[in-house]
Amino acid sequence: MRLTVLGGYLGSGKTTWLRHQLHAGQFGDAHIVVNEAAETPIDDALLSQAKQLSVLAGGCACCDAKSQLITLLREICDERSNIESGGKRLNQIVLETSGLADPGAIVDAVCTDAVLVHHILVIEIVVAVDSLHALDQLRTEPLGRRQIETADRLILTKVDEVDTEPLMRLRATLAVLNPGASVSAAIKGSNSDLPSAIGDVLPEELPDISGATSRPPIFPARIVLDDTIDWTAFSVWLSALLYARGDDVVRVKGVVRTPAGRLLLQSVRRAVQSPEILPEQTNDANREDNVIVVIGRGYRAEDLTKSLRSFSGDRADRTD
Amino acid sequence: MCSSCGFPAAPGHWTEAGAATAPDRLRSRFRRAQVLQAILPALGLSAHDGGQVPGIQISTLSGHHEIVRDLDEVWAAAERMTGKKIDPLDRRFIGGGDEEA
Repeated sequence: MRLTVLGGYLGSGKTTWLRHQLHAGQFGDAHIVVNEAAETPIDDALLSQAKQLSVLAGGCACCDAKSQLITLLREICDERSNIESGGKRLNQIVLETSGLADPGAIVDAVCTDAVLVHHILVIEIVVAVDSLHALDQLRTEPLGRRQIETADRLILTKVDEVDTEPLMRLRATLAVLNPGASVSAAIKGSNSDLPSAIGDVLPEELPDISGATSRPPIFPARIVLDDTIDWTAFSVWLSALLYARGDDVVRVKGVVRTPAGRLLLQSVRRAVQSPEILPEQTNDANREDNVIVVIGRGYRAEDLTKSLRSFSGDRADRTD
Repeated sequence: MCSSCGFPAAPGHWTEAGAATAPDRLRSRFRRAQVLQAILPALGLSAHDGGQVPGIQISTLSGHHEIVRDLDEVWAAAERMTGKKIDPLDRRFIGGGDEEA
């Protein structure tokens, strides 16, 4: 069975890219495995075109949830082995990692597992690279660099939102970090042309952060929007939070019920996507609406809820 | 670019996505002004949106005012007008008193 690992930093566009590939018929009948560091999965709501979908939530598959990933992959292998000869057997798995995962560590885990090594062949590590934010991330985040370095294929996403010169600088920087990887571009998951080179754009000189331990770890926090918090109060609060803390609040995502429908909210640092209006729930009755995942650092998780409550007119010291 | 593999996106500024009809949009504007009016006095500012013309009016206690288009601009204007950093995680908003965290 072939395994494609799809990685990339928080908000780099992994799910958007994969969603379009499935829509376009790539990966055939692949079993899609989605890993999210937060306990409340969101990305699977966008991958309804997958023939088979498994969600691994509440831990990163390269560290905390490594054993759960191995168990899940073994189960998929068992199911395949139980299909009688002549039956249609699964031949492709696509694993979308969490934005906090090192794809190299996941591949190591798969290739060194005594069972999986006989069933699964890792054919490609695809890494999505956010053209808007990648240079900032590469300056400061060791994980961002590791993700780039392990890739066989780099997909530059959101290329329509960045000027040619910084895009070329990013491309030159990627070529220094991983000269062997192929590079292509995508807009909303759809293939796009990379602009032709404009003279000699030099790569970014990245500082040495190999021993950096000063920054606190990035963690997911879960915020429940109960009946006392409406979309308007929530959006006032979130706009203030991203304005003030957009460098630390790396990613926000969740589904919020409003009079205008079920809104899929997503942000990457200070950039908030126009919310997609999701259909009413059909076969995903277990999905938790009105739960927001905030992934970042530099604050206490409980302070997010306290602050939101004070913005919604509730007492600031009330907790869940 | 493909526009058929996703779900439709709400038009306008993301903060206004929770209202789809004209009455809802007006209600949402009044509610937004109400929420801001509960927050901004702690920063020495006030907010007003009469619903007649686009924009939110932000005023200082001394009467200086600016009209901004959306919530992103509210916070930039608030910092400009007060000369202070705005942070929803400072103590006055998380129940720890008036001092900034």
